[in-house]
Amino acid sequence: MKHLIQLTVNGQTHDLVTRAERTLLDVLREDLGLTGSKRGCDLGACGACAVLLDGRPISSCLTLAVEASGREIVTVEGLAQGGALHVVQEAFVEHGAVQCGFCTPGMVIAVKGLLDERPHPEDAEILEALSGNLCRCTGYVKILDAVRTAIRRMSGGRGCEALAADGSDLRPSQATRDRSGLAAPATTRESRA
Amino acid sequence: MSDYAVVGKPLPRVDARDKVTGAASYSADVRLPGMLRGKVLRSPWPHARILHVDTSRAERLKGVHAVVTGRDTAGLRVAFVDTPRYPADEPPFALDRVRYIGDEIAAVAAVDGETAEEALRLIRVDHEDLPAVFTASGALNPDAPLVHEFDYPGKTIWEDWGARGRPESEPVPRTDNIAARTYVEFGDLDAGFGGAHHVREDRFDVAPVAHAPLEPHAAVAFWDQGGKLNMHVSSMGIFYKRFVLSKALGLPISHVRIHKSYVGGAFGGKIDVFPYEIAAALLSRKSGRPVLVELSREESLTTTRMDFQASVRVKTGVDRNGIIAAQDIQVVVDTGAYRGTGPVVVFLCYSYNIPVYRVPALRYEGLAVYTNNPVKGPKRGHGAPFIRFAVDSHMDMLAEDLGIDMVELMRRNARDQGEVMPTSGDVLRSCGLKDSIEAAARDGGWEAKRRRSVWTGSERFKRGVGLSACSMFSGSPYYPFASAAVLKLADDGGATLFAGTVEMGQGSETTLSQIAAEELGVPLSDIRIVSGDTELTPIEFGSFLSGGAFVTGKAVRLAAEDARRQLLEMAARLLEVDARDLEARDKRVSVKGAAHRSLSYGEIIAASVKQANGDPIIGKGYHKSVPDAGLHPSLSTAKGRWTEAYGFASQLAEVEVDTWTGRVRVLRVVTYHDCGFPLNPQIVEGQIEGCVSMALGQTLQERVDLREGQVFNPDFLTYRMPITHDTPAMVSGMIHSHEPHGPFGAKEVGEGAVSGVMAAVANAVYDAVGARITSLPITPAKILAALAAAGRDGPRERE
Repeated sequence: MKHLIQLTVNGQTHDLVTRAERTLLDVLREDLGLTGSKRGCDLGACGACAVLLDGRPISSCLTLAVEASGREIVTVEGLAQGGALHVVQEAFVEHGAVQCGFCTPGMVIAVKGLLDERPHPEDAEILEALSGNLCRCTGYVKILDAVRTAIRRMSGGRGCEALAADGSDLRPSQATRDRSGLAAPATTRESRA
Repeated sequence: MSDYAVVGKPLPRVDARDKVTGAASYSADVRLPGMLRGKVLRSPWPHARILHVDTSRAERLKGVHAVVTGRDTAGLRVAFVDTPRYPADEPPFALDRVRYIGDEIAAVAAVDGETAEEALRLIRVDHEDLPAVFTASGALNPDAPLVHEFDYPGKTIWEDWGARGRPESEPVPRTDNIAARTYVEFGDLDAGFGGAHHVREDRFDVAPVAHAPLEPHAAVAFWDQGGKLNMHVSSMGIFYKRFVLSKALGLPISHVRIHKSYVGGAFGGKIDVFPYEIAAALLSRKSGRPVLVELSREESLTTTRMDFQASVRVKTGVDRNGIIAAQDIQVVVDTGAYRGTGPVVVFLCYSYNIPVYRVPALRYEGLAVYTNNPVKGPKRGHGAPFIRFAVDSHMDMLAEDLGIDMVELMRRNARDQGEVMPTSGDVLRSCGLKDSIEAAARDGGWEAKRRRSVWTGSERFKRGVGLSACSMFSGSPYYPFASAAVLKLADDGGATLFAGTVEMGQGSETTLSQIAAEELGVPLSDIRIVSGDTELTPIEFGSFLSGGAFVTGKAVRLAAEDARRQLLEMAARLLEVDARDLEARDKRVSVKGAAHRSLSYGEIIAASVKQANGDPIIGKGYHKSVPDAGLHPSLSTAKGRWTEAYGFASQLAEVEVDTWTGRVRVLRVVTYHDCGFPLNPQIVEGQIEGCVSMALGQTLQERVDLREGQVFNPDFLTYRMPITHDTPAMVSGMIHSHEPHGPFGAKEVGEGAVSGVMAAVANAVYDAVGARITSLPITPAKILAALAAAGRDGPRERE
């Protein structure tokens, strides 16, 4: 059985015909060519396919496309505006929170979803909000650093220096040598030369 | 410390912007007109004879464009190890037999995934179950069923490169399930053990774990009109993939092109050429259309290699000062239904262990055993995690027996710069091992935090610290044995770097660009990198055996040096001075001590084109992974050069054990990694943090749940990797030992720090509660059992 659906993705409205059993992830990737959202598990367990549905992060691999009809969807492709990165994206770049990049779209979306709802989350809330987004590369340390910087910057603090659009600003990492997960207080240590 | 402008700086990654915006393209993101979807039919039986495969109904299904079976690959065997001693043993598609649950039987290409899956259901496979064996010890039993009845000697794929040939012969009947054996013996063992002050022997067991990169494996294949195969693949080394694909498909190597894709994590699991990749190529050839094969998470986890199930026995004799006199080590791994990298891992368990402590007399035996389990392959550290877990747990026990502090025991036995490795002749030209042990102990608060005194206390939560050290190659002699790089200058003095590296998260595009920028004297933003394409870039060693920065980085540095030399020579002509009196900086060449006499790179390049018959200035560099090595070392005797430089790491873990529940919480992991020189400290930290996280998963929670060959946890709900909540505090420090052969002194960094965590945590658990856990993962159940055995189980005491 096919359905006519209307998806508004990153501000653009699409009229589509789709079978009822197809997921939002399938339609985004196959029909709309928006391959930024990743298929990591097809089970709602890894978070790589996260998109915002009416502002809330959801697993698009667990959401039927027909359920999303008539609703607002934001994918990772919709975050940067006019060539300028979103604050969360910028913080991920600066902190080295990106390695292989496969979890990154879902991770960035999950952080944006959190901060849109709770601009000043406690550390425990950050851990919880990202607990459904797996990352195998970073050990989460730099991702959590990036989130804290994004929070500071979105609330008007400077966090770190802005990054030039072409990436040419040779700004050192603000990472300390002892980046805590949130379990222990961070202290700064110099590496031995 | 250094006056470098670009290297040594924590600059943002050059690929980060593409990755945070969703623009980065991975193999499964490739979209081509008319592209079909391929799916693979796999064996549901652990061991069976295939009597007949009937694909006729699948072929007739509307929307199906091609089907391949064992008939299309008859006679072909492919394997990571393919040598006269260990001939390739894995047919891409089953001909007469399947040997594990997941073994490939057929593949289908159809207009969409659903149609392809329906077609798989229409394929009829007549089979007859065969007796199967699921443990290494069972498979070593003389009456165990044979997983492979024959070896198939013949031409190895290395013969073009000078590997000793062996005439093709009839299949040789096998009599046991031993897939590979490494044996090394040196020194006077009898005297070593006989004269020892103290001898102990321990056994350790390690459960298999999964690579679980976030990107499931995927391949795209399409053929162009000239008969050339084009592919996007999940890889770690595109030239190795091209080489094996060309051999497997009988194509001239120049008729296979790997195109660039980002790779969503690999950790060892994407180096092999897999049947699904061969399927994509064959399905595309049959259908005349592009084909994408995207594996499910379950397929990725179960059929694209996993880490070994291993048991390690260690016996050591020491003198009264704790100096090792003799050691006897036996490693037995279950390598699964095909050899995978079994012959390599039993070699590496020796090779990654021997650089850590001085051992005057050693007997080492490594056995890789066939079973009807999924096939095993390299995973980050490739043997080092389990051999180091075993040896450093054992050392901690020796330390206690002797009443010597573990730090002191490690320091007394640790190797120094200048030492020569037995059997290989490798020289430790740089070695920061002792520095790293001391730094980790100091920053981890070793002296203050050791708490053995609290064992018998009644408090529920007990803390302890533990230490371990590890070592890793920086590249090895393996195809294509070398890396090359080309640096093409642009009119404005910027440059494009052509390097074959695959960006899979390790940051190679960034660090290689930094090396080129530093050497050329331009900012990082002036370097554009073209990577990951066998047609556009010169050969590259690949990002495995931890050779990326060391081997390819050196080639890039030489290419930039070559370009810079050409710039200086042209400038010397223009400025009418000797090239030696010139210096290059900030995209200008000036006369030393007379900065006003200078030319921009742009001016020099324009002049070169005008005056040097069009020469636009292109730099070329190349570097062999181990310059004075033969083809490759002997896997069975460990003779022959292995690597040019060893990375070292020492790691301290601080844990808190809940004596009521047995749960271990890791509070902090301190790592000091001797990476020679950090080309990009932020990337080095990221590698260490990723290693630590992955290692903690293996230490405390990860285990592929295999029962009679069936994986019971093939997805991310049941195979539990570390999540945000599991992140401990990390101190990720670097030892600058300045490797003389490395680019700017750099060597390995991406794998080493995975291997010290296991013993560090096990030793810390012992320090905290006096329970010695000798098998991974260290689960709450094991801790409670050990506490109960020691009469120290908390809740009972409480009540």
